[in-house]
Amino acid sequence: MIRNCFLGLLLLTGMTAMAQQKPAVKVSGEVTRPLTLYPENLRQMKRTTVSLKDRDGNDHAYTGVPVQEILEQAGVTTGKALRGENLSKYLLVRCADGYEVLFSLAELDSSFTDRVVILADESGGQPLPAGKGPFRLVVPGEKKPARSSFQVTDMIIRFAKD
Amino acid sequence: MILPGLLLLMVIMTAQMPAGRVPAPVTLSWPDYFGNRVFLPAGNPVTEDGIALGRRLFYEKALSSTDQMSCATCHQQAKAFTDGKRFSAGADGVLQPRNTMSLANLLWVRQLFWDGRAGSLEEQAVTPLTALHEMGQSLVVSAAKLQKLPRYRALFRRAFGSDSITGDRIVKALAQFERTLISANSRYDQYLQGKYQPSVSESNGITLFYANTDPVRGTRGAGCAHCHGGPKTYSDLFHNNGLDSLPADAGRQQITGQAYDKGRFRVAALCNIALTAPYMHDGRFPDLESVIDHYSEHVIHNETLSPFLQQPLLLTKQEKNDLLAFLHMLTDSAFVTDPRFSNPFNNN
Ligand code: HEC
Ligand code: HEC
Repeated sequence: MIRNCFLGLLLLTGMTAMAQQKPAVKVSGEVTRPLTLYPENLRQMKRTTVSLKDRDGNDHAYTGVPVQEILEQAGVTTGKALRGENLSKYLLVRCADGYEVLFSLAELDSSFTDRVVILADESGGQPLPAGKGPFRLVVPGEKKPARSSFQVTDMIIRFAKD
Repeated sequence: MILPGLLLLMVIMTAQMPAGRVPAPVTLSWPDYFGNRVFLPAGNPVTEDGIALGRRLFYEKALSSTDQMSCATCHQQAKAFTDGKRFSAGADGVLQPRNTMSLANLLWVRQLFWDGRAGSLEEQAVTPLTALHEMGQSLVVSAAKLQKLPRYRALFRRAFGSDSITGDRIVKALAQFERTLISANSRYDQYLQGKYQPSVSESNGITLFYANTDPVRGTRGAGCAHCHGGPKTYSDLFHNNGLDSLPADAGRQQITGQAYDKGRFRVAALCNIALTAPYMHDGRFPDLESVIDHYSEHVIHNETLSPFLQQPLLLTKQEKNDLLAFLHMLTDSAFVTDPRFSNPFNNN
């Protein structure tokens, strides 16, 4: 009886601990300021809306924070600083299911390209649906949406060292 | 009082021992199509003597509280390092909460266990060794027991350069042995190497495994490769494959605390799959036919179900047979009889 109560208590505290865990995106690696971005942080940053052709073949509008903005906040070499050896840096985006996609920093930088890749947290004024959100990378202009990955949890910046 | 003094003396003696010969490094090899995304920690290079020690420890029953159980009690070579049970009993007789996992091609696995909670084979090995309901013995006690057994001091010296037997070295040696468990000689491997001509059914099975059903283009597929894809029939991913509407085991969520990880488990490697029944983290399916039926018509919708399993496959009888023929191609008989992985105590 006592054991059962104890087990119940354990389960209960375990469950509340789980419920309290807020989703977040961690920015780490070659950064001067590692970041942990919660939903409310993203809402306070510079935001933009881009369009993406999804698997259904239709264009959908996504709103969120340009990846470049996030990299700048983390102190990653962007803009004028993106030259020399910094051109061999990459961003690895990791998702909750373990899926990973990679970009060279130049692919994401407004001094190299007009394409704006964003970390989206809403579409059509709504939070992203379960299974895709809360954070989705949106990479406009690609033939297939395989890098527009769901449930982003980590953005890791490193040097390619080979 | 005497014991600590003696221990100290032993420590000094080992520290002063001339560094014997350096253990010979081993270069592991695998087919190019496996890719080189392997996880080999710099702090534990694989050596001939380390592997030999690890193999012995894998089969060493003194590492359990009852002296009756080794890693190989649950991980039996003939069954691709599983034991055929739904839940294996620990040294104290209590059943494990999850089905025993097969051990093969672990070099490519970054997050071990069904929920991915261990980041290396070294870290992983501590759990079965010390968990109360598995082998149930602290690393300190294990090290002390090995000290008293013949041969181990010499084996540790050869593998690590000095006599000292520690928990850290035990798990390092085990990990080295496990890294050698490379399975790459199934009929599917032979087919990829151009050495085997698949039957019509096997060939259709391969196509179904990789393809998706697309009514517009008129293709039929089972879409398994989304998750189990590539020549290793393994990807380092976590998914909810629709076993339950309310998962009894929260799986990955217990590690991350995130609601979206509820009922997600690591995608299982399919190599040697015909030898590792029963299936899934809770061993609920007794055979591969039931697994295929599950994916074909019994996937249960739930809030974290993978986006790749939203449409029922509704495979025909023939398609099911073809897929089954493919899964049987993944059995590597050479791997499960390879003397390098067998019980070394049988030869003494
Ligand atoms: C009592 C049975 C039992 C014993 C003994 C046992 N294991 Fe396991 N093993 C399991 C079970 C059950 C799992 C899955 C557990 C989980 O995911 O929570 C597992 C998982 C593993 C994995 C993870 C494989 C993967 O793909 O992630 C490795 C590696 C492993 N065991 C190695 C060992 C080693 C090394 C030993 C000896 C030190 C050992 N096991 C002893 C039952 C056992
Ligand atoms: C959405 C990803 C996904 C897809 C698609 C998928 N699987 Fe799985 N599969 C998994 C996961 C995750 C597990 C482990 C689930 C668990 O134990 O809870 C698994 C487990 C299995 C197992 C049992 C492995 C073991 O060791 O117990 C087999 C066999 C299997 N899948 C075969 C298939 C076949 C055949 C297909 C295609 C019809 C397929 N899978 C499609 C994700 C997937």
